[in-house]
Amino acid sequence: MSDRTLGWFIYLLAVLVVAGLVHIVTILALPHVATRDSYARLATIAQTNRFTPLPSPVPGAELLPMQDPAVVRGVCRYDVNNGPVRVRAEIAGLDGLLTLSFHDRRGASFYATTDRGGVRGRIDVVLLTRIQLEALEALDAEDEPPQELRLLAPTREGFVLTGSLALDPGDFDAARGRLSSISCAQENLRRQ
Amino acid sequence: MLNILKSTAAALIGAGLGLYATWSALERDAGFEMVQVGPWRSTPKAAFAAADPYTRAALARNAQVPLSPGEGLMFTADIDETGAPLLTRCDYILTSPIPAARFWTLTPMTSRGALAPTGNDRTGLTSAEIVRDSMGRFEIVASAQLRPGNWLALPTEPGFMLALRLYDTPASSLASSMSVGQLPRLRRGRCI
Repeated sequence: MSDRTLGWFIYLLAVLVVAGLVHIVTILALPHVATRDSYARLATIAQTNRFTPLPSPVPGAELLPMQDPAVVRGVCRYDVNNGPVRVRAEIAGLDGLLTLSFHDRRGASFYATTDRGGVRGRIDVVLLTRIQLEALEALDAEDEPPQELRLLAPTREGFVLTGSLALDPGDFDAARGRLSSISCAQENLRRQ
Repeated sequence: MLNILKSTAAALIGAGLGLYATWSALERDAGFEMVQVGPWRSTPKAAFAAADPYTRAALARNAQVPLSPGEGLMFTADIDETGAPLLTRCDYILTSPIPAARFWTLTPMTSRGALAPTGNDRTGLTSAEIVRDSMGRFEIVASAQLRPGNWLALPTEPGFMLALRLYDTPASSLASSMSVGQLPRLRRGRCI
C-alpha cells in the first residue's frame, strides 16, 4: 500500500470513528436534553401535587401522541422535594377500567396498576425519597403495618398518568366520573 | 496546513454522518426490543427506563408515554397480513382471535400515528361494542364507507395505521413469545 492510500485510509477511519461517537453520544444524550418531552408537555397544563384532568385528545391537538381516544386521562405531576406525595383512588363500587402509571422525570415508568390492584377498596400510594421513607418508618406504630404502598421516587419530579376507559361514546361522562375518585396531594411528614 | 484542513474536514463529515444516523434511526422508530407478529408490532418494554437507548431517545423526542405492562399492551399495524400497506380506499376485515384481556380498543390513526378525523364522532371501537357470534368470534370491517355489523370508520387520508390496545392483560409479559395465530387476522377486502 502506498503512503498516499494509507493517508486516505486513516482519514476515512477518522470520519467513521467521529460519526460513531457523535451518533452514540446524541442517542444517549437525547432523553436528557429534550425540551418538549412528555413531562414538559404535561407541565404546561398540570400544577404540581394536584390532580389535573387532561383534555380529550382531538385530531390535530394532542397533548401527548399515541394516546387512546377512548381513555379519559388525568395527571398528577409530583414533586417530592418538600415532602411525600400521596396518590389515592377510591375504587370501591367502581365499575370499569381505571389505570395509574407512575413515571419519572424522563417519562420512564416505575410502577403501574389498575383498579384490580386495589386493596380494601382503594389504591393508596405514597411517593417519597429514601430519607422521607426512613422518617416515615420511624413514625410507624409497631403493631400496625402501613396501609399504603410506599414507593421510592426514582427522580424527585415526575408524573402519574391516570386513565379511565369509556366503553362507548355514551360512557365518557361516567369515565370522567371514575377519574374524579383520584386525588393527589403532598403529605405532611409530622404525624399526630 | 493541509493536514489541519483534512482533519477538520474529517471531523465535520464524521459529525454530519453521526447526526444523520441519529436522525434516521429516530425517524424509523428503530428499537432493539420491537416484537413483530404478522402485521402487528409492539415494544412491550418501551415504558421502562431499561428500554434500549434508541427507544428511549425516540420517546423523549416525540413525547410518547407508552402503556406500562401493568396497565396493558399496545400493538400497531401499518400493513395487512400479506405485508401490503394499509390504504383507506380499501376495506379490511379483522377477525378474532384476540389475546385475553379485560378490555381492548381498536383505533385508526394517520400513517404518522396521529389521531385522524373520521367524518363522524367515532374514534374507534372497544371490546364492549363488538357484536359476536355464539362462539364468541367476531369480525370487524374497517372501511371509510359505512358498513353493516362491526364497523370501524377509517380516516380520509390515503394511508392509515391501526392501534390495538389490550388493557389488564396477561399478554403484557408474553408479547415476545406471541405467535401469529394469537393476534387478529387483518385481511384486505374490496378496494375502490
